[in-house]
Amino acid sequence: MNAFEMSIIAPAFLASLLVLSTHVPLGTEVLRRGIIFIDLAIAQVAGLGVIAADTMGWEAQGWMVQIAAVSAALLAALILHWTDRRWPDIQEALIGVVFVLAATASILILAGNPHGGEHLKELLVGQILWVNYDQLLPVGIVSAMVLFAWYWMRDRLRGFGFYALFAFAVTASVQLVGIYLVFACLIIPALSTRHIEARGVRIVCGYGVGILGCLGGLILSVGADLPAGAVIVWSLATFALLFAWLIRPLIRPRDVETS
Amino acid sequence: MTRIIIALLILVAPFSAQALNVFACEPEWGSLVEEIAGNHVELTVATTALQDPHKLQARPSLIAAARSADLIVCTGADLEIGWLPLLLRRAGNRKIQVGNPGHFLAAEYVRRIEIPKSIDRAQGDVHPQGNPHIHLHPRNIERIANALTDRLAKIDPSNAERYRSNAEFFLNRWNEAQLNWFEKTTELNGMRLVSHHRSFSYLANWLDLDVVATLEPKPGIPASGAQLAKLLEQLTPNPPPGIIRAPFENEKPALWLSERLNVPEIELPYTVGGNEQATDLFTLYDETIRLLGELIK
Repeated sequence: MNAFEMSIIAPAFLASLLVLSTHVPLGTEVLRRGIIFIDLAIAQVAGLGVIAADTMGWEAQGWMVQIAAVSAALLAALILHWTDRRWPDIQEALIGVVFVLAATASILILAGNPHGGEHLKELLVGQILWVNYDQLLPVGIVSAMVLFAWYWMRDRLRGFGFYALFAFAVTASVQLVGIYLVFACLIIPALSTRHIEARGVRIVCGYGVGILGCLGGLILSVGADLPAGAVIVWSLATFALLFAWLIRPLIRPRDVETS
Repeated sequence: MTRIIIALLILVAPFSAQALNVFACEPEWGSLVEEIAGNHVELTVATTALQDPHKLQARPSLIAAARSADLIVCTGADLEIGWLPLLLRRAGNRKIQVGNPGHFLAAEYVRRIEIPKSIDRAQGDVHPQGNPHIHLHPRNIERIANALTDRLAKIDPSNAERYRSNAEFFLNRWNEAQLNWFEKTTELNGMRLVSHHRSFSYLANWLDLDVVATLEPKPGIPASGAQLAKLLEQLTPNPPPGIIRAPFENEKPALWLSERLNVPEIELPYTVGGNEQATDLFTLYDETIRLLGELIK
């Protein structure tokens, strides 16, 4: 890999590190609660928020877009938190319903105001190779705040805290790397480490799988000249499988059976 | 020893003289660059004829090509608004930034049609700068070829003569071809058609085709039930001879209408590479005219 190729993947790699930093720990919690598709729902509602703001004549630019997106995402978080307490047994189904409602609401709004469609695309189909260094700072700040809240204030933030953190983390990351990669970073490292009992060890292994997956995917994307986001998803899955297979002998059989 | 080195340097010099790196956003401009610059440039074309030029997946090689480009040749008029600004920013290459000689936008050199009188967002995904699908009018190609030749000569003065003579050769053949097309297309004048998106407006303008309806009443937004019903009602008494669309446009709406009106639905190449025969600008026009002609046989 020469300096030139390095300069292509360096900002993309930093972006993936930022996304992994919050999504690996959040992913373990998502998996524990069994609400896998929450990121799709939150991201879609964030997009809906931007379109709705645009339609109401509030032409969102720059920071205003972010405020509209995060407000909508937080509103969705509030609703999902409420349904989680009210009907915990059907929470995942409700998340699915929120997703389709948000996605189709954007189609209905766009039928009257197609211009907002550009914002929706910008919001939901971020592409990791387009990332610039100056985009990393705001996402870095958001990630640091989310991580701080996650590790130091988690006990006080229980229920709604989790959903709110999630809204911030997903809204920031989906614009950077797109919805497929966000989903992969959230779920795949958490899945591959699910038999590891010690929390700290599990998170560290999750980061390891995530970092190797992203780096491997980026290098492969340069070598084979393929769209980076899609290659990284496959690379993440490959490293996760490899990791799960390698640590199998180390996990006591009892753990495997009871999990 | 020194002499050997000097001799080697002299031998190698012609090869190491850097060829101009040109980055074309769409195949039609790649083809035009080839006509004018021949094999004197390293050409990268960002999209294929089967891809919608409004969208682009970021691949590493595209950033690499933009970074080393001396010239980018794109359509402009907001066609690439979704990805070109991102690519330019990511490439960090001063030569090709907006306002520099290495930034060539074809749409700046032609008279654009369908410029909205008022920018009303309710009208759809409209381009305030007019319809950007400019390459299917031969006079536009002429104007753009001239402007592109000037630009190439400005960026690479040492080869200016070569560019000018290539351009002259191309334009002569282009004029001949236009006479030929003119004869062939008189029978197409006034032909009624339905198109998917406004991708063929300049073609219609040139050949005096009558695009009676588009399957996307508002560009970029699928039709509603009421709109489709109205379309059927409007077209059923006197169906047009055919429905046209570009290779990257969804064929389902066209097939739906084709079945109900019982008229053929055809895929025009739209740009160079859009079908097997359309290998350069000449054959692109030949193919388009041939396919349209088949509709009225």
